[in-house]
Amino acid sequence: MNAAHRQVSIDVQESEENRVLIEAIEADNPAVTIRHLPGLIKLQAPGQIVINRESVEERLGHEWETGEFQLAIVSYTGNISEWDDDQIIVKWEH
Amino acid sequence: MSIESPRAAAWKKLPLKERYALLTRDLDWEPSYIDREQLYPFTRYEGIKVHDWDGWQDPFRLTVDAYCKYQAEKDRRLYAVLDGFAQGQGHLTLSDASYLNSIKLFIQGVTPLEYAAHRHFAFLARHLEGPGPRFAALCQSIDELRHTQTQIHTISNYNKYYSGFHSWSKMHDRVWYLAIPKSFFDDAMSAGPFEFLIAISFSFEYLLTNLLFVPFMSGASFNGDTPTMSFGFSAQSDESRHMTLGLEAIKFLLEQDEDNVPIIQDWVDKWFWRAYRLSGLVAAMMDYMLPKPVMSWKEAFELYFEDQMLGGLFPDLDFYGIRPPRHVDDAIAEKEHLSHQVYKILHNFSSVAAFTTKTPDHVHLDWLSEQYPGTFDIYYRPTWEKHQRIEAGGGRMFVRGLPQQCQVCQLAISFTEQDDRRKISFRRSEFRGETFHTCSDGCKWIFDREPEKYVQAWLPVHQILKGDCGGPAIPDVLAWYGIQTGDNGEYNGSPDEQFWRAWHDPSLRHGE
Amino acid sequence: MSVKALYDYEFPSMDRAKLFGEDLLVYVHWEGNPIFCSAVCFRVPKTMPFGEFVTSFVVPWAESDPDFDHEAMKHWRIFDELLDVADNKSLADLGIGHKALLTFAG
Repeated sequence: MNAAHRQVSIDVQESEENRVLIEAIEADNPAVTIRHLPGLIKLQAPGQIVINRESVEERLGHEWETGEFQLAIVSYTGNISEWDDDQIIVKWEH
Repeated sequence: MSIESPRAAAWKKLPLKERYALLTRDLDWEPSYIDREQLYPFTRYEGIKVHDWDGWQDPFRLTVDAYCKYQAEKDRRLYAVLDGFAQGQGHLTLSDASYLNSIKLFIQGVTPLEYAAHRHFAFLARHLEGPGPRFAALCQSIDELRHTQTQIHTISNYNKYYSGFHSWSKMHDRVWYLAIPKSFFDDAMSAGPFEFLIAISFSFEYLLTNLLFVPFMSGASFNGDTPTMSFGFSAQSDESRHMTLGLEAIKFLLEQDEDNVPIIQDWVDKWFWRAYRLSGLVAAMMDYMLPKPVMSWKEAFELYFEDQMLGGLFPDLDFYGIRPPRHVDDAIAEKEHLSHQVYKILHNFSSVAAFTTKTPDHVHLDWLSEQYPGTFDIYYRPTWEKHQRIEAGGGRMFVRGLPQQCQVCQLAISFTEQDDRRKISFRRSEFRGETFHTCSDGCKWIFDREPEKYVQAWLPVHQILKGDCGGPAIPDVLAWYGIQTGDNGEYNGSPDEQFWRAWHDPSLRHGE
Repeated sequence: MSVKALYDYEFPSMDRAKLFGEDLLVYVHWEGNPIFCSAVCFRVPKTMPFGEFVTSFVVPWAESDPDFDHEAMKHWRIFDELLDVADNKSLADLGIGHKALLTFAG
């Protein structure tokens, strides 16, 4: 299966602030599916998951640095192919 | 909000990539009065060829200021949870006191590994040649120390009320079942720096981390143990960075030189199986030690390993010529059996352990039958029902004797043949005229690759029989282990169980 | 293949026969009885007669299973070979060496 179809995933802690983060991820990644496990939320999507700073800030109503994603993430599957000031991309490369 | 100086504000405005470059690569220098080989003596002998250390990028682009800021915030959040739990008498609100046996296994088995990782990543932070991987290793070294401390701190609250939480660091060095995690990490630390990266950063932290750690955390959440869940998730957030280091390490080494590919493949083969065998303890914990189970080992294995790693990661690594680990099919074939066989070891020998076990009751057996519909009723349920009959007659079966252990993984040799699940799989090798026993094709392959290394294994059972563990009799050994009466044995009737009942039943509180 | 190291990698085995003097390590496995997770490991004098070894080592261990029947022990093997046991022969005479694996059916 090629890289565009294989599942990537991000697990985040279940929390009030992360609820907003998950909303932003859902909005920017229509193919994402969500699974609730005790204490955490598992996001999965074929090919890639993108997190955009602007989408998160819009919903949070205040500034948010992409680095703050380190406080939310529990685990992931895939490769972090981009992490800059504006976005984080987790995807398979090959 | 604090008021920032103009200089700090200007610094903040620098793009992430630029800040990262300034604070890592730009702080590095070329040695002038000694050569690189003298400065970095450990990066050549394993046969790995690196042509350009600058090819190593940290996708997190973590800098020292950002690291301190986020780690402080993580600790602040964790300690708020710990305070709340202690103030709210959280030790009474668990699903059941027997749940804590999994946390005893955690502090005895896992916390000392965090400390070992702290030490060895400090070594890598000194000895890797590129500034990028050195800084990532430095952060990880500090992370691992933080994990050690937060775990000790969190779990110390239970030490006030429950047995088995004292002396864990001494136990880790001495007790038979803790030789399983200890020997795993010792094996990695005594290898070269590149093998260590593939062993710990890639195989342990990327390939199997979700099976090794997330089940403990979800189990904690489901069983009312919010402090463990919180330190777990707090540690896991660092773990994502460690996973990235592991994946970056393997890709970097594979890209540097084609000659690296077969060496890396060998290490992936070895360390997959080592980490998988270690995960047997987690499998037993998930299926047997959680009063409220989260998901079965089989389901977790399918989700986290088969779907995510074999389905997602390995096609990506195929690009570099890496195939799925040798013996992976044996692990898949064993997914219906692993947890039952490992818990049987713990149940047979908790008389000499710093935790207690119990025979699963009917409700629990029904859950296991449901989770393992093709196998549990055939191979495992009848034995547990025999234990129930023995206990109904007032007995409790512990094995009076010491188990035969695998020379490599140090688990009791308790696994069975794929074509006959009732037949124990014995494997053996001869080396320098001596016989060495292993539990599986995977462990035998690892032994035969480096027999000179594994003949030195400190096998707890043989050490006891040599008389090197406090004395010849079991009470001597228990004393030497640091195990006190009540830490070990059967859960029902244990101090933990009796206290738990008294704390929850006012009619039993007389004379307290 | 051998260990890659920066020096001559040469260490003795941790559990070599010499360290046990006149004794042996012997493993005993009760085939087909899943109440025991694994074989058991004993330290025994090489000169001990097999009958005494069974009575004083194997039986107390096997009795961990309340259904154990001493009379039913049969089909002794050493590794994959049949073992022609005789109560009065010593372990050494029977060819049982250091870290041998014995199996019986019950």
